[in-house]
Amino acid sequence: MSIKKEVLIVAIYAGEIMLKNGGETYRVEDTIMRLCKSRGFSYVETFVTPTGIFLSMDKKNAPEEEMSSYIKRIRSRNINLNKISKINEFSRNFVNSSMSTEEAMQALKKIDEATSYSNLTKSIFGGLASGFFALLFQSNLLESLSAFITGMLVTYSLNYLLSRKMPFFLANILGGGILTLLAIFFSYMTPSIHIDKIIIGAIMVMVPGVAITNAVRDSIEGDLVAGLARAGEAFIIAISIAFGVGAVLKIREISSFIMEVLRQ
Amino acid sequence: MIYLLNFIYGFMCTIGFAVLFNSPKSALLKAGLGGGLGWSVYFVVHHNYDLIVLPTFLASLVIAILGEVFAIMEKQPATLYIIPGIIPLVPGFGLYYTMLSLLEQDYNLAIQHGVEAMLIAILIAAALTIVLSINTYRKNLP
Repeated sequence: MSIKKEVLIVAIYAGEIMLKNGGETYRVEDTIMRLCKSRGFSYVETFVTPTGIFLSMDKKNAPEEEMSSYIKRIRSRNINLNKISKINEFSRNFVNSSMSTEEAMQALKKIDEATSYSNLTKSIFGGLASGFFALLFQSNLLESLSAFITGMLVTYSLNYLLSRKMPFFLANILGGGILTLLAIFFSYMTPSIHIDKIIIGAIMVMVPGVAITNAVRDSIEGDLVAGLARAGEAFIIAISIAFGVGAVLKIREISSFIMEVLRQ
Repeated sequence: MIYLLNFIYGFMCTIGFAVLFNSPKSALLKAGLGGGLGWSVYFVVHHNYDLIVLPTFLASLVIAILGEVFAIMEKQPATLYIIPGIIPLVPGFGLYYTMLSLLEQDYNLAIQHGVEAMLIAILIAAALTIVLSINTYRKNLP
């Protein structure tokens, strides 16, 4: 395999890991450029969108060599800051040393397969985040506690469903449903718990706030396609959550209406 | 007292999200510090002047500057500190509320929430981009 192809594969793999784990568009492009240029390929052009990477490169003053390009499709995205930080370190090492491409591939594989926090740890911290988020919006202690439990269970079930390869649209609808059922359950326990406050807290572990901010950020920086794609993704997630929550709220409304009729 | 409490809430909330986003352990406290301070700025301005958009902008500026400073100190990408930090500010709930109003066919309310969410998102993104651009400019200075 020629050195050109090897460098191409290393660069696209590094970009893929970064993009899959929530790296910003400009950062992915920057990393790919640096990786390629460090091995003497001075003509590098890359086009990154959240759903794919396009990369082509060539050497200066090498008319006999052919130009190489590579397209990589990205299908799933989540946020994993640890991997972004590791790729950043890797890229610095690769650029500043004469690391061989085989070593580079091994290092990248290791990063790609790195374990994250366990589902239990994530759930506890998701619960903490929900509980404190409810407090940020002036809820009382009981509401915060219910938001903690709700957030924990929602994070756990959402991660479980996604690890079972459930499509994220469906998983988010179910997550929204579970969240609202729990919130209704807690609100029936004591009158001092208001259902909205629990939903505000617990829903934050699901809503695409970061995605929508990144969408605007990409658009401001001129990555218009990437910005639109991210905004579209954020909208789909918001719709799925609202669908789950809205359906359960509607069912509660209808069932209480039926109860009323039956009582008369 | 209420300010201190809000700092603590923002701090804990940010750490919770940092773990959800798989942030490395060494970055947790710094991310929390940025998020807590950002939220405090938001809360102080919001509490005293009853504004929403301006304090969001100021808070994002604080988070972005702190993030870039931590990034230079630790030689890590600034995203590590910024993404969890802006979570208390992002209009996730506004976006969700827009969708809920749409499902309930209350289009006026949907537009009201939607525009506000959009405005907040634009301002957060603008603050982050301003700080990022200044930092890039600084790096490129001869």
